[in-house]
Amino acid sequence: MPSIDDFIRPKEWVSDFVSDLGRVLRKWGEEKYVPLRQKVDEDWEEHKTVEPLLKEVLVDLGINPAFFPAEAGGTDMPEPMTLINVVCEELARIDAGFATACICSIWGLVPILFKPHRNMELLMEFGPKFCGDQLYVGCHAMTEPSSGADIENIGRMYGKTIQTTATLDGEEWIINGHKTWPSNSGKVGNLYVVACTTKKGSADPHDFALILVPADVPGFSTGKPYKKAGMSADMNTDIWFDHVRVPKRYRLHGPGDDLKYWRRAITMGNIGSAAMCVGIMKNVYEIIKKWTSERVIAGKPLKEHSICADMLSEIAILIESTSAWMWTYARELDHPEIYGWEPWDERFLLKSRGLALYANNAVERACSRAMDFMGSYGYAREFDIEKHWRDQKVIGLWMGGKGLKTLENARYWYDLETL
Amino acid sequence: MAVLYPSPEWCEEWKKAINHSPAVAETGKNWGVDFNGSWLFELQPGGGLEKTCFIYLDAKNGKCTEARTIHDPSEVNPGFYAVGSYADYKEVVKGKKDFIEGVMQGVFKIKGDISKIMRHAKFIRAVANSISTFEATYLPLSPPLAGAEERQGN
Repeated sequence: MPSIDDFIRPKEWVSDFVSDLGRVLRKWGEEKYVPLRQKVDEDWEEHKTVEPLLKEVLVDLGINPAFFPAEAGGTDMPEPMTLINVVCEELARIDAGFATACICSIWGLVPILFKPHRNMELLMEFGPKFCGDQLYVGCHAMTEPSSGADIENIGRMYGKTIQTTATLDGEEWIINGHKTWPSNSGKVGNLYVVACTTKKGSADPHDFALILVPADVPGFSTGKPYKKAGMSADMNTDIWFDHVRVPKRYRLHGPGDDLKYWRRAITMGNIGSAAMCVGIMKNVYEIIKKWTSERVIAGKPLKEHSICADMLSEIAILIESTSAWMWTYARELDHPEIYGWEPWDERFLLKSRGLALYANNAVERACSRAMDFMGSYGYAREFDIEKHWRDQKVIGLWMGGKGLKTLENARYWYDLETL
Repeated sequence: MAVLYPSPEWCEEWKKAINHSPAVAETGKNWGVDFNGSWLFELQPGGGLEKTCFIYLDAKNGKCTEARTIHDPSEVNPGFYAVGSYADYKEVVKGKKDFIEGVMQGVFKIKGDISKIMRHAKFIRAVANSISTFEATYLPLSPPLAGAEERQGN
C-alpha cells in the first residue's frame, strides 16, 4: 500500500544517511512534537513549549552543526540543499512553523557557510556557539516596514529601497534602522544577519551589506511577537537598531560579494519553501487518506466515490509534481559542476521562484481540497488540516510574495526587460 | 614502522592513536556512556582486498577500549555498522577522504542510531582523523595468491 515514502525522492541523489536522518526527524516529530502540536499553536507569545523542542532538533539532533565546517565545530555535511530539503520536508509535515524556525537558524549565514565562499574568521567565531551544547539561534532580517518585496527584488532594485543603514566608523559599523517579520526574532534569535545599505537610496550592488548583529549589543531591541493566523512555532517581531555598533569584520564579505552570495540564500529559500510545501502536503495526504478510507457515505468509503477520488488523485499529483521539481532544483544547486551555473547565479534564483510559486499554489490547493471533503471536520482543530491550511498561506507571502515570484520567474523565462 | 591495513597490528596502532588524540578525549566524553558506542567496519573486496574483512572498534568516554580484526560479524554486537569498499576505506586511512563526508554521501553505508552520529560528529571525525596519524601499508592491487589470506589479516 503506497505511503508518503513512495512520492518522488530520487535515491541516487539523496544518500541513505540523509534519508535516515529524515527518518530520525520523523520519529522524533511523531513521538515528541505531535503530542504537543496543538499546544504549540497556542504558544506563539511565550514559546515555553517551543524553545525546548528547538533545542532538541538544533542541538541534540545536530541540525545546527550539520551545516558548519568541521574546523568551526560542525559536521560539514555535503550537498546542503539536499539536506535542507529533507529537514524542511520532514519537519513541515509535523509543523511548518517549527520547520521554518529550525532552518532559518542558519539561513542568513548561507553567504558565509558554504564552499567556496566561506568566511572562516566569522565561522570560527560563531560556529562554536551554533555547534555547542546550548541553544544558539540565527535570524535573517530582511523585510522592512515599507517593503519586503523590494528588498528581495535584487535584480531590479539592488537594495535601493533599504532604509536600514550601516555606516563605517573606524573599525566599527554603526547600524540604524527597523526590520520586521524575520523568523526567530524576539526572544528566540541570538545572532542576526541584517540586510542593510551603506548608502541610502543607492542601487549600486557594492552598497548592499550583510552584517552580523548579536542580540545582546547595546541599541538592539525587539517588539512583541506578532499574533498570526498560523506558524506559531516561528516567532516574528519588529527589530530596531539604534546606533548599534559591531566590529567591521562582522560584514559577511564586502562590497559586491554580500549581494552576490546572498542570492544563494534566496535561491535556497525558494527551494526550501517548496520542501516545506511538500512536507505539509504529505501530512495532508496521510490525513485525507485515512479519513476517506474510514468515513462511510452512502454505504461505501468516501474514497470510493468518484467525485472524492478526483480530489485524492489531484492531491497525489500535486505532491508528486512538486517533489520532482524540488529535487531536480536541489540537485542543480548542489552540483554546479554538472549543470554549469554557480549556486549564486541570478538566473537560477529567478528560475527557482517558479518552483516556490508552484509549490505554494499546490499546498494551498491540497489543504483546501482536503478540507472540502472533510467538511466541518476539516475546519475543526482536531484533525490538523485547518492548521496546515493556516500555516501554509505565509509560505506564498514570504520572500517577496507571489507577485515577485511570478515576475521573477517570467523575467527568467521570457527575458523581461522592464519588470 | 608502517603496518599493513588491515591487520591485527594496524588495529593495535589505531587504538594507540585514538588514545593519544587530545581531540578524541575532548570530544568523546559522552560517547558510549548511555548507549552502545562500538563500531563494526565491513571492508568489502576490491582495491587489493580479496575477501570481506571486519574491524571491530569499541570506544567509551573518549577512550578506545578495543580494536581488532574479526572473522565473523556475529561474534560482536556493535552499536554502529559501517560498510564500504576497501578502496574507499583506504582513502580514509591515507587521510585523503573525510569519513563523515563519505557517510553523508553514501560512500559508506551506516546502520545504527543516526541521531548519535549527528550529535557526536566531532568525536567521530576525531576518531577517523586519528587513522591517518601513523604509517600504514596497503594490500597490493594484484596480491600474490599464496599467503594472501594471511596478509589480509583474516
